[in-house]
Amino acid sequence: MSNALWLAMLASAIGTLLLRMIPLLWMRRRLSRHDGESGGEALPQWLGILGPLMIAALFGVSLVPRHPDALSWLATLIGVAATLLTWRFTRSLGWPIAAGVAAFGAVVILAGLV
Amino acid sequence: MSRQAISPRPWLIGLREAIPLLGGYVPVAVSFGLISVQAGFSPWEAVVVSTLIYAGASQFLFVGMVAGGASLWLVIAMTLLINLRHVVYGPNLAPWLTASRWWPWLMHGLTDQVFALAHHRLPQLPAAQRLGWFTGAALLAWASWIAGTALGAVAGNWLMARWPLLGEIMPFALPALFLVLVIPRFTSWRWSLALGSSILVALLCTLAGYTNLGIPFAAACGALCFYLVKADAASAGANNE
Repeated sequence: MSNALWLAMLASAIGTLLLRMIPLLWMRRRLSRHDGESGGEALPQWLGILGPLMIAALFGVSLVPRHPDALSWLATLIGVAATLLTWRFTRSLGWPIAAGVAAFGAVVILAGLV
Repeated sequence: MSRQAISPRPWLIGLREAIPLLGGYVPVAVSFGLISVQAGFSPWEAVVVSTLIYAGASQFLFVGMVAGGASLWLVIAMTLLINLRHVVYGPNLAPWLTASRWWPWLMHGLTDQVFALAHHRLPQLPAAQRLGWFTGAALLAWASWIAGTALGAVAGNWLMARWPLLGEIMPFALPALFLVLVIPRFTSWRWSLALGSSILVALLCTLAGYTNLGIPFAAACGALCFYLVKADAASAGANNE
């Protein structure tokens, strides 16, 4: 990489770190001003709503298969159903993910064999 | 007594709970390593990019734009624009962070996936365990991203030819993880509508090719639904009176 490219990479890295760090520092200062309140109460309502909605959006984005054909969508649907079902019974983090990946993988592999 | 208070070690819990992230991280990191080398970066340059920028989509964009001969100012601007959505992550976690001076620096590891996991887990953990938990989870995710990049840069072609299905199946760990994190939030009609519309809009944006713009846009649509339902309920209440 040329010197200019190194500088561009460093600027992108520092900028990304600041995008993650500065809003946290702002919020910490705000929280220290609302010292009597619990953390959740001091959080602006719109920000508290935006957090879960960002996770929902990430879920929506990640749902789209790499090659969105009928088989991939079917595998995704079955993987989601397996994840949901396992979550309903275990209420844990790891098992539903393992079940979802296994179900998704099973559909992809079986379809490859047929 | 103090040994009991810190047992089991929080960083180890974080490490264990971040394992599902690897299913999504490693195949994408391998692809990034491979694409970087194909774009003319050396393997160690690809690893440095992954270590320092550490933001999936923007790294692909960075390498692609550089290879395409774009102006470096434009490369920086576009990289930061894609990462702009990260500004809401830190403040959302702030109420559960302790007074340690390490937290701001640990935000380097605050990717989409680590945020989703931390947003779910930090409120459940005792305050004394949160720093250790986050450090363990974020470091595992970071290390897997760097290791995956190195692997992709050095042996990406061979890996893709040897296990083509692995790269197709393992990334499903990410939607499964996000689903497990988001499903407990469906606690009322209002939340269900807001979350459901966010998921749908994000999905449609991705299908239309606007993945990165889709995330904040979908969240904003969900928030709009959330407030509209409240306004609607309030006006219905007023009409009934």
